[in-house]
Amino acid sequence: MRKRITLPILLAAAMAATAVGSVRAADSSNYQQLQKKYSTLKVQMQAMQKQMAQMQKQMKAVQQAAPSINERATRRAIKRLSRQVMKLSEKEAALEPGNIQVLIAGDVNVQFQNKVGSSSTFYADSSPMIQVRVDKKIFINTAFDFYTASGGPGGINSDIGAANINYELGDYMTVGGGLISSPIGGIVSNYNAAPWNRWLVDGSLEDNLLPPNELGIWTRGGIPAPGNLGYLTYFLFVSNGPEFVGTSGVPNQLNYDNYTATQNAKTVGGRISYLPIPNVEVGYSAEWASPTQSGALTKSDSWIQAVDFNSYYFNKKIEGFVKFRGGWTWEQVGQGGITPGNPTTPPALGNMSNGGQIDVAYQPSMCGIKYLDKTMVAFRYDRIDGPTASGSAHEQRYSVGLDYWLHSNAVLKFEYEFDNVANQRGSDAMFMQFAVGI
Amino acid sequence: MNLRNIQTVRTIVLVGLAAAGLSLMAGCSNNGTAGKPAAKKTAKPAAIWPLAVQDPAKNETGAQIWSENCLRCHQLRSPSQYTPAQWGVIVQYMRLKAGLTGEQARKVLAFLKSASAH
Repeated sequence: MRKRITLPILLAAAMAATAVGSVRAADSSNYQQLQKKYSTLKVQMQAMQKQMAQMQKQMKAVQQAAPSINERATRRAIKRLSRQVMKLSEKEAALEPGNIQVLIAGDVNVQFQNKVGSSSTFYADSSPMIQVRVDKKIFINTAFDFYTASGGPGGINSDIGAANINYELGDYMTVGGGLISSPIGGIVSNYNAAPWNRWLVDGSLEDNLLPPNELGIWTRGGIPAPGNLGYLTYFLFVSNGPEFVGTSGVPNQLNYDNYTATQNAKTVGGRISYLPIPNVEVGYSAEWASPTQSGALTKSDSWIQAVDFNSYYFNKKIEGFVKFRGGWTWEQVGQGGITPGNPTTPPALGNMSNGGQIDVAYQPSMCGIKYLDKTMVAFRYDRIDGPTASGSAHEQRYSVGLDYWLHSNAVLKFEYEFDNVANQRGSDAMFMQFAVGI
Repeated sequence: MNLRNIQTVRTIVLVGLAAAGLSLMAGCSNNGTAGKPAAKKTAKPAAIWPLAVQDPAKNETGAQIWSENCLRCHQLRSPSQYTPAQWGVIVQYMRLKAGLTGEQARKVLAFLKSASAH
C-alpha cells in the first residue's frame, strides 16, 4: 500500500520539480538580460555623470576665469592709461605758459579806536603778501606790513611779516627756512593772524606773551594718528633767540622779534596738535631760549609753554555755527647775571608771567533771515598776570563784538572792551574796523 | 618754580620734542610717496607709524575735507572766487598753515579746481 502511494507522489514530485526548474531557467535568462541592460545603463549613466562633473568643472573654471581675465585686462588698460595721462600731464605742465604761479594776497584794514585816557584815532594797515608756487614741491611766501605810526606826526611804519622758502619732502613733511609766524600758542599764528579773520578788533592780552615770528629753520606737517584716530600736526623749529631790551639800559622786556642772534643765542621749540575730528584741535607748544643783552647781561633762561584749543559746531539745529577758541600761556624767565665791569642796574628778571583767553562766536548763517545770517556775535575773556618781580599787576578784560560779513573775506566790526587792572576799572575801549582779505 | 625745576621740565619737553621729530622723520623717510600716481598710493597703507596707518582722507571727498577743515579757522571762501591756477597756490600755502597731509591737499585742490571751473 505504501509503495502504491509513494510512486505517484514521487512522480508528481518529479514532474513538479521539472516544471519549477523550467520556470527557473526562464526567469534566470530574463534576469541576465535585465542585468545586462542594467549594467549597460549604469555604465552609460556613470559616463554621463562623469561628463556632467567635467562640464560642471569646466563651467566653474570658465566662471572663475572670466572675471580675472577681465580684471587683469582692465588693470593693464588702467596702467596704460595712467602712464599716458602722466606723460600728457607732464607735457602739458612743461608747455603751459607761466609754469611758476604767483599770487598777490594779503589784507587791508582801517580802524577807529577810542580808549579811555588816550586820544581817539584812526589807523590804517596794509599787508600785501606775495606767494609763489615754484613747482609742486617748492613754495615761497613773502609778506610786508605798512601801517600808520601811532601818535607820530604822519609817519609810516613798515615791517616784514614773512620771508620763507618751503620744500615738501613727502605727504607728511615739509622743511623750510626764513621768517615765519611763530607756532607758539597756536591761536595767533593759525587763526588770528590777519585782521579780517579775527572775530574782535583788538588783540588779546595773551598775545603779549607770545613771540610773533621765528627767524630760522623748521620742519612741519600733518600725519594720520595711530589707529586712524584723527590727525596730528607738528611744527618744530630752531630760530634766533630773543634779546633783552629795556629803558635806560635796564633789561626788563624780551624782544622775540629778533633778527640777529645776540651772542649766538638760539631758540628751540615747536607745537604739536591733535585733531580727533576735523572740527576739534588741541595743541601744546613750548620754546626754550637763552636770551641775553649785548654787553650788559650774561645769558639767562626763557621758557614758554602754551596750550590752545579750537573747535566749531555747525548744525541746522542752531541755525548756523558756534566757534570756541581758547589758550593759556606760561612764560618763565630765569635769573640773569650782570656782565662784570658793567655798571648796569640789576635787571628785574627771575619771574613768571602767564595769561590766556577764551573766545566764543556765533553766526546764524543758516537762519535765512536777511542781514542776520551775515551777523556774528563774539565774546572774549582774556587776562594777563604780569611779571611778579617787576611788580606788574594782573589785568583782565571782557570784550563784546558784533561783526557783519559783507563777503566771506570782507567784514565790518564793532567792539567794546571792558578793562580791569588790579581789580579796579581800567581803560575801557571802543573799536570799529573795516577789514578785507585779498 | 626755581631754576633747577625749570631746567628739568625743559629737558623733559625738549627730549620729547626731539623724539617726536625723529620718529616723524623716520616715518616720513619711509613713505616718500609724493609725485607718484594716486593709483599706486591707494594700493598699500603708508608706513608712518610702526603699525601701518591708512590716511583717513582716502575715504573722504575733497568737498568734505574742504568744508570740515577750512571752517575751523576762517569763513569758507567760494570756489569761484579764484581761478584753478590761483587755487593751486592757495592750497599749497594752506596745506602748510593747517598741517594738511598731501592726500588731503590734493583732494581739496581737485575739488576747488573743478568747482571753480564751473
